[in-house]
Amino acid sequence: MESFGQNIFLVHPEITLAVGAMLLLMIGVFRGDGALKLLSWIAVAVYGVAAVFVTILPADRLTAFNDLFVTDGTARFLKLVIYTASAISSVIAIAYLQRRNINRFEYPILIMLATTGMSMMVSANDLITLYVSLELQSLALYVLASIHRDNAKSTEAGLKYFVLGALSSGLLLYGCSLVYGFAGTTNFEGLRTVLHATLEQPPVIGVLFGMIFVIVGIAFKISAVPFHMWTPDVYEGSPTPVTAFLASAPKVAAMGLMLRVLFDAFGGLSEQWRQIIMILSALSMGLGAVAALGQTDIKRLLAYSSIGHIGYALIGVAVGNHESISAVLIYLVIYMFTTLASFLCVLAMQRNGDQIEDMSELGGLAVRQPKLALAFTLILFSLAGVPPLMGFWAKFYIFKSAIEFGGLPMTLLAVWGVLTSVIATAYYLRIIKIMWFDKSSQDFDKPDYLVNDVLLTATTLFVSPLGWIFLGPLQAAAMLAARALIGSA
Amino acid sequence: MIQTIVFLPLLAAIIAGLFGRALGVRFSQLITTGAVGIAALLSWIIFTQFLSGTTPYTVTISNWITSGSLSLNWALKVDTLTAVMLVVVNSVSSLVHLYSIGYMSEDPHQQRFFSYLSLFTFAMLMLVTADNLVQMFFGWEGVGLASYLLIGFWYYKPSANAAALKAFVVNRVGDFGYSLGIFAIFLVFGSVQFSVIFANAPHMAGKSFEFLGLHVDIMTAICLLLFVGAMGKSAQLGLHTWLPDAMEGPTPVSALIHAATMVTAGVFMLARCSPLFEQAPAALDVVCVVGALTAFFAATVGTSQTDIKRVIAYSTCSQLGYMFFALGVGAYGAAIFHLFTHAFFKALLFLGAGSVIHAMHHEQDMRHYGALRKSIPITFITMLIGTIAITGVPPFAGFYSKDTILEAAFMAHSQVGYFAYGLGAIAATLTSFYSWRLMFLTFFGEARWATSKHIQHAVHDDHHGHDAHDGTAGYHPHESPWVMLIPLILLAIGAAAAGFVFHTHFVGEARAEFWRAAIHPTKHDVLNDIEGIPLFWKWLPTAGMVFGLLMALNSYIWNRAVPKQFTDTFSMMYKFFLNKWYFDELYSVLFIKPALWLGRLFWSADKNIIDGVGPDGVAALVQLTAKRSKLIQTGYVYHYAFATLIGVIALLSWAWPHAGKAIGN
Amino acid sequence: MIQALAFYLFASITVIAGMMVISAKNPVHSVLWLILAFFNAAGLFVLLGAEFLAMILVIVYVGAVAVLFLFVVMMLDINFEELRKGFYTYLPFGLLVGAVLLGELAIVGLGWVTSDHAASLSRMPAPANVTNTQALGQILYTKYVYVFQASGLILLTAMIGAIVLTHRTRGGVRKQNIGEQNMRQPSDATALVHVQSGEGL
Repeated sequence: MESFGQNIFLVHPEITLAVGAMLLLMIGVFRGDGALKLLSWIAVAVYGVAAVFVTILPADRLTAFNDLFVTDGTARFLKLVIYTASAISSVIAIAYLQRRNINRFEYPILIMLATTGMSMMVSANDLITLYVSLELQSLALYVLASIHRDNAKSTEAGLKYFVLGALSSGLLLYGCSLVYGFAGTTNFEGLRTVLHATLEQPPVIGVLFGMIFVIVGIAFKISAVPFHMWTPDVYEGSPTPVTAFLASAPKVAAMGLMLRVLFDAFGGLSEQWRQIIMILSALSMGLGAVAALGQTDIKRLLAYSSIGHIGYALIGVAVGNHESISAVLIYLVIYMFTTLASFLCVLAMQRNGDQIEDMSELGGLAVRQPKLALAFTLILFSLAGVPPLMGFWAKFYIFKSAIEFGGLPMTLLAVWGVLTSVIATAYYLRIIKIMWFDKSSQDFDKPDYLVNDVLLTATTLFVSPLGWIFLGPLQAAAMLAARALIGSA
Repeated sequence: MIQTIVFLPLLAAIIAGLFGRALGVRFSQLITTGAVGIAALLSWIIFTQFLSGTTPYTVTISNWITSGSLSLNWALKVDTLTAVMLVVVNSVSSLVHLYSIGYMSEDPHQQRFFSYLSLFTFAMLMLVTADNLVQMFFGWEGVGLASYLLIGFWYYKPSANAAALKAFVVNRVGDFGYSLGIFAIFLVFGSVQFSVIFANAPHMAGKSFEFLGLHVDIMTAICLLLFVGAMGKSAQLGLHTWLPDAMEGPTPVSALIHAATMVTAGVFMLARCSPLFEQAPAALDVVCVVGALTAFFAATVGTSQTDIKRVIAYSTCSQLGYMFFALGVGAYGAAIFHLFTHAFFKALLFLGAGSVIHAMHHEQDMRHYGALRKSIPITFITMLIGTIAITGVPPFAGFYSKDTILEAAFMAHSQVGYFAYGLGAIAATLTSFYSWRLMFLTFFGEARWATSKHIQHAVHDDHHGHDAHDGTAGYHPHESPWVMLIPLILLAIGAAAAGFVFHTHFVGEARAEFWRAAIHPTKHDVLNDIEGIPLFWKWLPTAGMVFGLLMALNSYIWNRAVPKQFTDTFSMMYKFFLNKWYFDELYSVLFIKPALWLGRLFWSADKNIIDGVGPDGVAALVQLTAKRSKLIQTGYVYHYAFATLIGVIALLSWAWPHAGKAIGN
Repeated sequence: MIQALAFYLFASITVIAGMMVISAKNPVHSVLWLILAFFNAAGLFVLLGAEFLAMILVIVYVGAVAVLFLFVVMMLDINFEELRKGFYTYLPFGLLVGAVLLGELAIVGLGWVTSDHAASLSRMPAPANVTNTQALGQILYTKYVYVFQASGLILLTAMIGAIVLTHRTRGGVRKQNIGEQNMRQPSDATALVHVQSGEGL
């Protein structure tokens, strides 16, 4: 049994975040809504401190709190990614919220609470931790989605998210109880032992069904088809900075949770879940590519785009070896930055103080704001996976791992992935076409938020071929993380 | 020094091409002409160094490609062969640049033109200084590109576009052979470095590989593939059809690319690869036969053409044939010597023709010329020197080089050698005939200008007004400006003296010290034997030349009814020649029409079947699915929840058969 | 015997009440049915020997949650008939889907066999000689303290969320400000005016 001190040491990042949230809350209560900017920047500092704690954690796999919590390379990798996304999401919202008079000081606090949940998710080592951390994250997100409470769309988005999220939580809990009922334990290591023991024969149907329910619950969070239905509505309805957050950090965290559950808990059932994941992946890629074609709202379109991207990442999950998991992790990082960059562009596209969300209104952007148009073009090309950009490498590693895995189904999945990428390119190109070739008499607002511009420049540079300099270290880190995950299975 | 020579034109091309508009016409002209001029001066310095016996060297610029066992450097190989080519390329190029300043003075896109010219010069220099096959291929394609751009320089002329395209496509056939040759060499030798290949070539002699059950000699196969490439670039019989059409480009281009330099690239390549060809006698025989046939064929066609540039174009084709059969009998030095002299007199003839065309207001048909010697005397005199040189009157340049080739062919004492000598001698006669025919039609007789539409236009535009019933239509041709005449004069000096001055080094006693390892010493050097040629056979071509001159005199000066009678009597033959042996028609039936038919077939299949099922069908399907999926997204929470549940059930139902029986363990 | 009887009684009433919750036309009735279902579920807990959970269920769910529901339902004027319009159009398909799910889950239920290892893996054997309240408390604050704290964070989040989404500072409301009241000086409200006799103010 670990000492209490060691337990505390291992959860230092989470404690930092929780205490940080409460600290922010105190400051906020006393300073009022005017403190939004201050709180956001303090939040960034807190994420920084938490990230430092993550980096000084030992690299080995260590459990704490009676095996409820685990920290290893994968968890550390994902936590750093999540903190980065959360920090960026906190600051890019300031100007937007202030301008629309929804500058609630709770905004960065809720993000931090959600981040605490996410941090716990990727360190979950027990079905109970899984559920509790997922709820912590989700609850904060529900509130964030409807934070523009005087806006019908925002409240509708929050409510939809909440109701459907509750449904998925119910399914998840049901699955957990089935698994507990049939395997007799909620602990991931325990589950692995049990399932490994039954590896020679087909799994007990209760465990299998339980696993499917759990996968469905998590698939809802990563919005994999057919559990994606909430995504377009919530993305469209939520305030844009919230959408940016929803699309980045929680996706990474839920993917991390998926990896944890599949490899740590249900590693023994890989033959079974592989096929399920492949189905989800194929459907997500297909729908992500096709459904976006008919969209006119940029945020809805990006929602479908994110559905498609999750499909690609799931290919790597389905393959399930070192290369593919490291590819998934690389994919998540690149996806996270690209998504944030794309939403930064959407945030910057304003006319008379209003957000432009209808694609057709983007005409003439290239003439009036060439830098923004160029950045958005690069980002869209990266999302489409056009070669010199980072999005290409993300897809490339995934497809490569799938092809090397071999076998007809996996090869077909990779081919399907390439095909849907091609289809998806069509709608990215449509935006680009509108920006560069359509004309418009109306002018755009000049971007006047320095922080957003700096972040947009930075993320765009990361997405551009300049990002290659990060590719090497990123690969090395992702490989370490992947080894931590699979080496243990 | 060699780096300066090679990269100065590139620099000039980039400056003139990218910033020409900003820097102005005059600046572009000066920088390109100046750059190539400096390169030419330096080339002569290098050439004189080699005349006095400098050792060959290679300058490595940088590593170019490293892939597996393939490792290439950018390297400039300088030996005698390169030095000769440097002189040819840079001298002609600089003179053509200079000439173009006058010739193109009215063109609105001169910056582009000069940029292309310099780019071409760079590519050609890259080709001749290549130290491996791939770098040579780079230059090879570079000159092809520049040629395409320059033929199609007047892109608003459909015929120019078509000609550019034709040149490009026909050259692709040759380049395909060439690239296959490079692949084969890499396969066999494991390297594309000349030094490595040549060192190992003797070991490969006589080895064969099996292909479709046939035993094929490796070296023969490689050499034939390389020769296919050379045929394309050097317009040898079969792949020659692009060259006459290429005359659609501006005349300086014809002089530079399609007479003096690019078309001789094939000859250069074969000479460079002489160590390989020495190991493949069968391939050499093929080269010899093709060369001889080309020399003969082009000469016959040349006699019947009326467009001044086309006559010279066929003449070029014919002279290239000489060079090839010289290579074929192993007289590499003679081939390069002819290349060298030919560059001078053929560039001279082209530029002279350009001067005539300039004077005649873009009229190119010789039937509308006549009596021009008084109007444009300097052009006349320089062209006369060029004609004397090409027909082979001693001691002008053509005499030394061409007669050496014919003597070498004869003294090779082989069947193909005699065959080549025979056709070559006839071709020499015909060459003399059509060259003098050109001169007589252009500069002698009475003026026939009135029938020319170009001249009528010019006169009409100028409102000269006064009636003239003497065939001049009141038009007064003017001598070209000095900027055009100076290159003519310089080239005329070269055409007159190049053979006499350099023949000892190229083909005479000093040749061994001069060439050294640049050209593979043949096992049996035919040039050693040519001293022993019987007098009759030595002077037969010269006699033929005189005969041709007399024929031309008879037909076009003394008795002008002769051509008409001749064409009436031998109308079949005349038509055959006039229509260039029906090569274009043959290709049209053999390749183009089937290709078009096949293309249409594929097009319709593509449109109806592949597009219908493929892109169009998929696009329609995708749009349909997009609409459907939009319908599903109703916005109602219970629909979403329902979809989620259906998803769950589908997954459960799917997983059910995968579970074990209820009683697990 | 009595135990079995009691189980079937509680269980069947729970199920019936649950069905009535979703089928009752009057929403207030639905909530009352829900309360009945809670009570019977609590009874089931008692049968299992989990008195603490039974009490918690009654106190929290019946005492707080259900009553809150009742308030909300009675205060909101929702026409449930309107909401239920689509009910019959979707009923057949819904029933089909429900039946399939039920069938599959029934199979799971029929195949109830716990793993051999389950017993050995059970981490929290019920401690002897302690009431289950005590037992729960013991593991909740020791073994599961991590999750317990996380639950606390969830509640905090919920609280923040509720305030963010509903709390409004309304204008025109006079609130008692005790601090202000205490700080008041007599001089703030009264003024001593020296009135000259015979003049008035």
